[in-house]
Amino acid sequence: MGVLDGITQGFAVALDPVNILYVFLGVLIGTVIGVLPGLGPTATIALLLPLTYEIEPHTAVILLAGIYYGSMYGGTITSVLLRLPGEAASVVTTFDGYEMAKQGRAGPALGVAAIGSFVGGVLAVVGLALLAPPLAALAVSFGPPEYVALAVLGILLVTYLGTGSALKSLAMAALGLLLATVGQDPIAGTTRFTFGQVALFDGLDFVAVAMGLFGVGEILHSLERTEKVQAVTSRIRNIWPSRADLRESAGAIGRGSVLGFLIGVLPGGGGVVSSLASYALEKRRAKDPSRFGRGAIEGVAGPETANNASSTSAFIPLLTLGIPANVVLALIFGALLVQGVTPGPQLIDQHPEIFWGVIASMFVGNLMLLALNIPLVGVFVQILRVRAGILAAFALLVTMAGVFSINNDATDMWVVLAFGLLGWLMKKTGFEPGPLVLAFVLGEILERAFRQTMLISGGSLGVFVTRPISGGILAVTVLIVVISIVTARRRAGVLHRHDVPEPASVEGDR
Amino acid sequence: MNRFRLIAAAAAALLLAACGGQGSEEPEAYPSDQIRLIVPYTAGGPTDIAARSLGTFMERSLGQTVVVENMPGASGSTAYQELLSSEPDGYTLSMSALPTAVLNYLTNDVGYTRDDFAPVGVITQVPSALVVPAASPHTDLAGLVAAARSDPALVSVGTPGATNTHAAETRRITQLYDVPLTVVPFNGAQEVFAALLGGNVTAGFVNASQDLMPLLESGQMRVLAVGTEERLPYVDAPTFAEQGFPEITQSTTTFGVVAPAGTPEPVIAKLEETMRAASADPDTRRGLDERYVPEQFLGGADLAALFTETEQTFQEVARGG
Repeated sequence: MGVLDGITQGFAVALDPVNILYVFLGVLIGTVIGVLPGLGPTATIALLLPLTYEIEPHTAVILLAGIYYGSMYGGTITSVLLRLPGEAASVVTTFDGYEMAKQGRAGPALGVAAIGSFVGGVLAVVGLALLAPPLAALAVSFGPPEYVALAVLGILLVTYLGTGSALKSLAMAALGLLLATVGQDPIAGTTRFTFGQVALFDGLDFVAVAMGLFGVGEILHSLERTEKVQAVTSRIRNIWPSRADLRESAGAIGRGSVLGFLIGVLPGGGGVVSSLASYALEKRRAKDPSRFGRGAIEGVAGPETANNASSTSAFIPLLTLGIPANVVLALIFGALLVQGVTPGPQLIDQHPEIFWGVIASMFVGNLMLLALNIPLVGVFVQILRVRAGILAAFALLVTMAGVFSINNDATDMWVVLAFGLLGWLMKKTGFEPGPLVLAFVLGEILERAFRQTMLISGGSLGVFVTRPISGGILAVTVLIVVISIVTARRRAGVLHRHDVPEPASVEGDR
Repeated sequence: MNRFRLIAAAAAALLLAACGGQGSEEPEAYPSDQIRLIVPYTAGGPTDIAARSLGTFMERSLGQTVVVENMPGASGSTAYQELLSSEPDGYTLSMSALPTAVLNYLTNDVGYTRDDFAPVGVITQVPSALVVPAASPHTDLAGLVAAARSDPALVSVGTPGATNTHAAETRRITQLYDVPLTVVPFNGAQEVFAALLGGNVTAGFVNASQDLMPLLESGQMRVLAVGTEERLPYVDAPTFAEQGFPEITQSTTTFGVVAPAGTPEPVIAKLEETMRAASADPDTRRGLDERYVPEQFLGGADLAALFTETEQTFQEVARGG
């Protein structure tokens, strides 16, 4: 069956009234759980899974997929307004998104994120329809050595993100890597730093760590100021992104779509790496990188586009190989198994209504999300008018409930509080939580993949350079380091030459 | 009004006592409240699906709500600790997966051993399979073993976890038969499949569960050996035993139900009876996937024996790391 026939059939499925209803339900639930801090798509889908046993398999996937990419839209909102990232992928959105909100530009931040998410989502759907099989082959060719290279590149990018001192960023990245070693050794199975606590066997939960460092840390910090302080102090100037905003973010959205789509295909850390890479790329390309971390709109547009595109392309390995790329897709895989449908290479032929129906429904769902989110931006921005004390208490409550829901484990709530305290201290001392959290995610991938590689290669390090993809990624990594050093030198030289006249011009401005 | 209530209550109490016969012991009315069935793994996984099918049957048969609760983490230890910290009254039960549940306490100090459990019965048994990708040069187990012996660094075997059944059983092959195999632990069977398809590991040792089947049917992978004593009707491959590895029969995963030790005997008996009926019920069998429901129902005593046997089998490997 040709792609065109497939798409026609897909739309026939997706535009069925029942399926339209489920897509709408999915994206609505997704948006809501995305907005509620701590509650993520994983817990929600796990909870709703038994309900899907009664409906048609394709309708079930349409619903669950809607929840998944819907939550990617919703996750942006708390990242921007409250600095509460619900997902690893939206951690980078807090860097500039929250700064924009503090400057009264929450509206444009959310608007551009919604538009970017839509463009990224739709382009990824097109990519999914046209390129699924060849990209699936790319996904499996990613073995442990390639993940090592990717994680190394990611950690390099992490240290590049900070706005403050590079030394502090590096220190935090190192701390993140250390925290990632808590729990069972991925290869030998022995426990490390668990102090005999079974709750720590699986290590610290990412959501708990991120929520603590960013959200709770920020809440504590804001409560320290006077009672009357609003979550965001400046007046909310405009709700919509201006034409200039859109012009500035257009490039970021385009690049974010492609980057997110490609990286999302990779099982594992796809989502995080995609938003991270997009942020780093935008910062690199910017004429004035110092704007990043101070409310640069491209810093929101790029990563938000990328994580949406990646949440769509993550379906490629599942629908074409039967291999889920992350926990959410593993749940969707489970939902299909229960229904007697086994996702795999024959899915397109045996169940075209699932493959094409889901693709077409994603297009419909993204349209709905755009229509839902644009008017809601105005509503969500009003949240910032709530008094900080009330907002903080409410955010804390929902965060704790959400974090508990992930594993039904009270320990995670203590982890949130402990990291909240740490986040507050870091804020006071000028350390940024971003590098810590991202290195924490990448550290787990890096350790497991590195040790797997060593087992497979018999201890030889040569595989990293001799395998084309890992060699290529490592070459890019080295290139970035070299270019950074060279440009830093050159810039230092330029600054040095202009050192004398500059203070004079500042004086003149006064 | 008041008097009427009193009389009604007295009548009810009398009736209860009459039914019980042995006095006012609570278990006689079991179950009189909702039952928690803890699942040590995430929703949507094989254990969860099995628990929900069983739970539906139990609700129908016992007339009480069965709440399936997922408590993933620490390869099941989180769930078992929760189970063992609750009252041994039959209102908190847990799914268990052997040998993983045994390997847990053999490899780590988790604060419990098999004596802390009161086994109720077995629901499903999922056998294991040693698989290679279609492109692999190894057409049978003998070929793979010969390759491993010729170059000890050559053959890597991907397993779904570091301390799980398949990793332990692979190490037993090396220990008992002197076949140098490198165990490469992954995070779940799906990652093992990806590594196999990408040619990153030589072979994979995984459950022959529903998720493997499409890969076999499409010819992307083939099975070199299954880890059961007899051949399986749904996998076209010889057993380890008939290929010269008679000891390699311990990697079948047994999904069962356990209660905390100290749960009254009549309660266990009632639950065991319910499970026996469930494993004969056509709807439930379909929900569990008929292939994996044992032909002969295995009750509490059989599950207890399996615990002991598994412990003896893996003690060596667990100690050796």
